[in-house]
Amino acid sequence: MEIYAKEFCLPKRGSSEDEYDDSSSAARDKSRFAVADGATEASFSREWAKQLVRAFTAKRLSIPIALDELKPLQSKWENFVHRHPLPWYAEEKIRSGAFAAFVGLELLVGDSGGAERIWRATAVGDSCLAQVRGNEIIKAFPLVDSASFGNCPNLLSSIPNCNGNGTELVMQCSGTWGCEDAFFLMTDALACWFFRELEQGNKPWNLLRDLDTQDSVSFQEFIANLRSEARMKNDDVTLMRIDIIS
Amino acid sequence: MAYSAEISRANPSCFVFLIDQSGSMADVFGAGEGNQKKADGVADAINRLLQNLVLKCARDEGIRDFFHVGVIGYGAQVGPAFSGALAGRQLVPISEVGNSPSRVEQRNKKVPDGAGGIVEQPVRFPIWFDPIANGGTPMSQALGQAKSIIDTWLSQHPNCFPPIVINITDGEASDGDPSTAADEIRKLKSNDGDVLLFNIHCSSQRAQPTVFPNSETGLPDQFAQQLFRISSALPPQMATVARTEGLNAAEGARGFVFNAGMVEVIKALDIGTRPSAMR
Repeated sequence: MEIYAKEFCLPKRGSSEDEYDDSSSAARDKSRFAVADGATEASFSREWAKQLVRAFTAKRLSIPIALDELKPLQSKWENFVHRHPLPWYAEEKIRSGAFAAFVGLELLVGDSGGAERIWRATAVGDSCLAQVRGNEIIKAFPLVDSASFGNCPNLLSSIPNCNGNGTELVMQCSGTWGCEDAFFLMTDALACWFFRELEQGNKPWNLLRDLDTQDSVSFQEFIANLRSEARMKNDDVTLMRIDIIS
Repeated sequence: MAYSAEISRANPSCFVFLIDQSGSMADVFGAGEGNQKKADGVADAINRLLQNLVLKCARDEGIRDFFHVGVIGYGAQVGPAFSGALAGRQLVPISEVGNSPSRVEQRNKKVPDGAGGIVEQPVRFPIWFDPIANGGTPMSQALGQAKSIIDTWLSQHPNCFPPIVINITDGEASDGDPSTAADEIRKLKSNDGDVLLFNIHCSSQRAQPTVFPNSETGLPDQFAQQLFRISSALPPQMATVARTEGLNAAEGARGFVFNAGMVEVIKALDIGTRPSAMR
């Protein structure tokens, strides 16, 4: 059995690659995967999103994420943003912190290497996971329909004490996985499109599975078409596609 | 749907603030218990608002030009009212506004200490606009200048989120009925909707404050009623934001604020300046 992970990303239309505020990461041993969506209206959210996904895949964050585990990351972010003197507006903006939505997935293989394989996931906000088996969706997490996407998702803050006690913020989920499954980790714009397609009776994973193959369009082209047809909001888009092949 | 255009560097929008600088602005506010002069309170509010606008547009690499901003003062003279390096400029990209305050003062801000208490923290408070109170109230002339600025803007940015004009005054125009000049502004439009004209009335009367009323009934004098009539209706998206902020914006609410404290005025202005997603 092989696990293949492929990351796709595209900044907002009209923005450069330097202005892309999402982040994604896959552990080398293919046991953990994460995507995070840095809030563009805050400052240095890209750095915050990057720290979250890297800490998760390095197993420095638990499932579910415990807020105490964020403290080293929050200190690191604070050091990063203050490495140069800043103008008044950057200082003021940093005071409010950076924010990110997050979803992380872990694939566990039992000691015996037998058929019972467990996955666990943790999420904050509207970055989502979908599990597909054969040609059916068997799990969506933490959101399950397009109506659940709004303008004020829960987000993890880079400022200690701004995440409450975490109990309403951090979600967790688990299930079983096997050969021929596919997982899709998506930031909100793509996830919202995914659920809308599903609600219309379509199977959007078939389009995502084919991306960047010889018979299909590129990710960039695919997203550009959805945006121009107003089927997807103009936002940074990130997809982590995980294929399990026997 | 109107008022849904994306605000981006490729498709920016603009704000024009009209500030009454007449002699009567040296009087104290009717609202609240303090003795703050109206001119001082309005200057604080405009500086705070410009600061908020800059912060909305600030990103890691600097300030993105989602907006261009004009501040027109009207009193002994009518014209651009920025102080310092921006003096004399009519419409300024927000990045230049952010990078060119006339000075940055140190003020104290009360913030939560994380343990249920409040501590004072020093913050930098940029100043672009100084209080002035001198001369008459040539409001129609100021509205005329705003119209001409926005006319030019719309010819260059036909698809923009509709520009917003915010007029802050203590009441009576000294150059005739401002309704005609106001109508001329409200008739302007981009492909995304009509230009919006909001009015903030800072009276010295000790009358009941009113935020976003939907009728002139209950407003205390003919000047408040006139300003209500020349104010645009709040677009539904802004009315929704206002309600989530705890303000009463009923069906047909107008972009008009009477005698509210400066906290409410800043909140109301913030709603007017938070029109839609900025990309």
